[in-house]
Amino acid sequence: MNIVACVKQVPDTEALIKVKADGSGIEEGGIKWVMNPYDEFGVEEALKLKEKFGGEVTIVSVGPARALETIRTALAMGAEKGIHISDPSLDNADAYNTAKALATAIKGLSPDIIFCGMRAIDDDAGQVGSVLAELLDLPSVTVVTKLEVEGTTVKATKAIEGAQVTYETSLPCLITAAKGLNEPRYASLPGIMKAKKKPVDVKDAAALGITVEPKAKVVKMTPPPERAPGKKIDGADPAEKAAKLVKLLREEAKVI
Amino acid sequence: MALNGGHGFGPGYEGREVFWNAHSYEAVLFFFTAIALVIFAYGIYRRWRMWKALGLPENRTDKAGERIKSLLVNGLLQARTFRESYAGIFHGLIFFGFIILIFGAAIDATQFHFGLPFFHGSFYLWFSLVMEIFGLAVLAGVILAVIRRYVWKPDLLGYRGKPDNRPDDAIVLLLIALIIVTGFIIEALRLHVNVNVDGFTWEHWSFAGYLLSKTLAGVDIGTTMTLHKIMWWGHAALALAFIAYIPYSRLLHIITTPANHYLLSLEPTGTLKPIEDFENAESFGVGRLEEFTWKQIFDSDACTRCGRCQDGCPAYLSGKPLSPKKMIQDIKEHWEDRAAKILAAKALAKKSGGEPEIPEPDKMLVGEVIDLHELWACTNCMYCMENCPALIEHVPKIVGMRQYKVLMEADFSPELQLTYRNMENNSNPWGIGAHLRGEWAKELGIKTLAENPDVEYLFYVGCAGSLDDQGKKVSTAFAKILQAAGVSFGILGEEEGCCGDSAMRGGNEYLYQTQAQMNIEVMNGYGVKKIICTCPHGYNALKKDYPHFGGNYEVYHHTEIIAKLIAEGKITLKKPLEGVTTYHDSCFLGRYNGIYDQPRNILKSVPGTRLVEMRSNHRKSFCCGAGGARMWMEEDIGERINDMRTDQAIEAGAATIAVGCPFCLTMMADGIKDRGKEESMKSMDIAEIVWRSMDLEKATTAEEAKEE
Repeated sequence: MNIVACVKQVPDTEALIKVKADGSGIEEGGIKWVMNPYDEFGVEEALKLKEKFGGEVTIVSVGPARALETIRTALAMGAEKGIHISDPSLDNADAYNTAKALATAIKGLSPDIIFCGMRAIDDDAGQVGSVLAELLDLPSVTVVTKLEVEGTTVKATKAIEGAQVTYETSLPCLITAAKGLNEPRYASLPGIMKAKKKPVDVKDAAALGITVEPKAKVVKMTPPPERAPGKKIDGADPAEKAAKLVKLLREEAKVI
Repeated sequence: MALNGGHGFGPGYEGREVFWNAHSYEAVLFFFTAIALVIFAYGIYRRWRMWKALGLPENRTDKAGERIKSLLVNGLLQARTFRESYAGIFHGLIFFGFIILIFGAAIDATQFHFGLPFFHGSFYLWFSLVMEIFGLAVLAGVILAVIRRYVWKPDLLGYRGKPDNRPDDAIVLLLIALIIVTGFIIEALRLHVNVNVDGFTWEHWSFAGYLLSKTLAGVDIGTTMTLHKIMWWGHAALALAFIAYIPYSRLLHIITTPANHYLLSLEPTGTLKPIEDFENAESFGVGRLEEFTWKQIFDSDACTRCGRCQDGCPAYLSGKPLSPKKMIQDIKEHWEDRAAKILAAKALAKKSGGEPEIPEPDKMLVGEVIDLHELWACTNCMYCMENCPALIEHVPKIVGMRQYKVLMEADFSPELQLTYRNMENNSNPWGIGAHLRGEWAKELGIKTLAENPDVEYLFYVGCAGSLDDQGKKVSTAFAKILQAAGVSFGILGEEEGCCGDSAMRGGNEYLYQTQAQMNIEVMNGYGVKKIICTCPHGYNALKKDYPHFGGNYEVYHHTEIIAKLIAEGKITLKKPLEGVTTYHDSCFLGRYNGIYDQPRNILKSVPGTRLVEMRSNHRKSFCCGAGGARMWMEEDIGERINDMRTDQAIEAGAATIAVGCPFCLTMMADGIKDRGKEESMKSMDIAEIVWRSMDLEKATTAEEAKEE
């Protein structure tokens, strides 16, 4: 089985995010970069299918030079090779252009199945998977929590409000992974060591033959407003404190 | 030979004939002795080949002086064996009794063969008395041992309430008892003749034999002589059987245990040997028996199943499948099977001239011989190693096998996987943003080394001290103490990383080394020389394990520094500590680093302290349950270790459990909650107790002061 898993490098959820003074993006200094957790579910599912049916897993990522580290992480988990699409014009590209780059790189691989994370935890757009399926003219099921492949039949389950729904489609197809699909494995040390020697093909926009024409762009990024400090209510006894609290809730917070 | 003629002994020239009534037997005895020695030597040779059959190389024969010292202290003087009174005494009685008796038998034989005149006068009389006493000592020792093993049946001799008595145990005790008893009978028979025929008058020096000879009154001399001959051969046969039996029984420990005393580790307690070459090594950790070093395998042959390791093992006592004794015995059984098969395969190959075809093991070492629940139950508390009289090293074996599961198979608990990912991404087990590490210190005006590198001490705060709410209170209290005492110190703030102890002890050596190297790079960059840690895990890692990677510092635990400040009069303790206080020994302070007194001395310096000890204390202290990466794993088998320890504090009547470790602090606080004692008990770090007693905190409101 020829499997592709797309990954994106994102800041760690705990990282301190600072918005650049000009509002064009975030300060990248001091940030710990990790693989987007939803993409990790995709990689794990890809590896599981490979272990069951044989074949190989190719990791594809769009991102600056540092994204190579994330590709290596996926290779350490057990994927065979990587394609790193790295071009300044693609840095912070919109979903359409990212998907276009991915589609161009993946087309030649003629995969049986493609995995993407349901969304990336940095920009929360959640579009790349669907756009990629469209560009490759493949059926897709999004936000999948359970996957079964038999022959060329694919059954993919997703959670909807108050229920679960299972779709049936056939290979080749694209799946976007959600939490619950699996528990991503911890890379073994021989895996980490071998990953350093696995092939990663680096391609820029010219090599792919694409030009980036943004369909959407970030106008301005602003940090969330700082939280006001808490207030301590003083009073002689509990009754007085309660009275003050009620007054504040009514007049300042306007919740009662 | 005339019975009463020519012996030449008499008052002033007391003595006896050696080989009396057995003169002509020397050659026959030598013959049988030779046979016994051949059987003994063959047994040892066979064992030797098994010891050499498998295992990685390890140098345990350097520094002979220190090794001989261990052999004398632990072997000849039985120092560790005597740590337990009952077992120490009975073993000492048998051990020293046997040494003296063998020595006496050697004098006998030498005198007879070379005709050297030892045996007369007061030397003879005292010699007789000493032999008598030690003969009885051995007998007493055997009786005490029998009572313990077969009547009293303490759990440490079994496993989970089931006795583990093997035929061999009984045979050995019986053999020893019979050797002594037949010895006394021979003596009684001889004395019966000596007194009644030869007219000896100094027989009472051999008081036991003499008393026994009284029962022979009326037995005629001819019968006595015949009985004596029979018993003499019986005694000789038993003694020779004993020698021949050594390599085939638990008696082998007469050789292997002292050998293990000689082969001891000369590294500081609990140091783990780092994996050196990640890039080129093909396998990591111990997945198969042959991936242990030869010494790690040999350990199992030095084990006597005495069970002292098991007796205080927190995993065992809380009902988890691990028993250090069982683990060592399981490894031994596996080794005996593997070594025999490997030797057979090699012998076959030698005959046919090909390469030996070594069969695959019937059982996997990790997962089958040693169950995974056993493997992960260990808290690395070091109780087993600290209390093993044979100096067996259990903990490095466990870590080695964990390394195999984590590094090679990446097959371990999801909670621990999350912990490791957190350490990878944010260099702390909780995964809290690494940039928040120095936040606690901002209000206190503590400078980082980046701001001012010109300080005497680096306060290495550690993950709990930086990020855990309770831990932050301890760091704050300790920093305030240092500030009040005018000690010059700084912290690393954001530049500090996790010490890596939990990764190392949980088998993730790779992650541990990345953490250690990051810290060492930063510390060496600032030219750090002296470090204080409030967490004993960091303290132990920085002190003993970082030197492997070029991090050489003088490392102190905060209780060492506080004790010093009190001694120097730099801080004064005023406010009394109410209620009864008990001190819980952190394993990584106590057993790992021998810091038992400083924390207790500090507590005694606090006015009004009533310090009591829990049932388990000092080197027999009971772990809180958090060491060896257990802090980050679910405890879903048996009782909770921290609750058991809390029960000991309750039993001691303590209102305050004083600790010197953030893990212990959390575990004790949880234990107090589990036992519903929050109203009457609390756990506090020594630093918090000291800072409170210094009474320098400015209360913000009158109400808060009242609450205090």
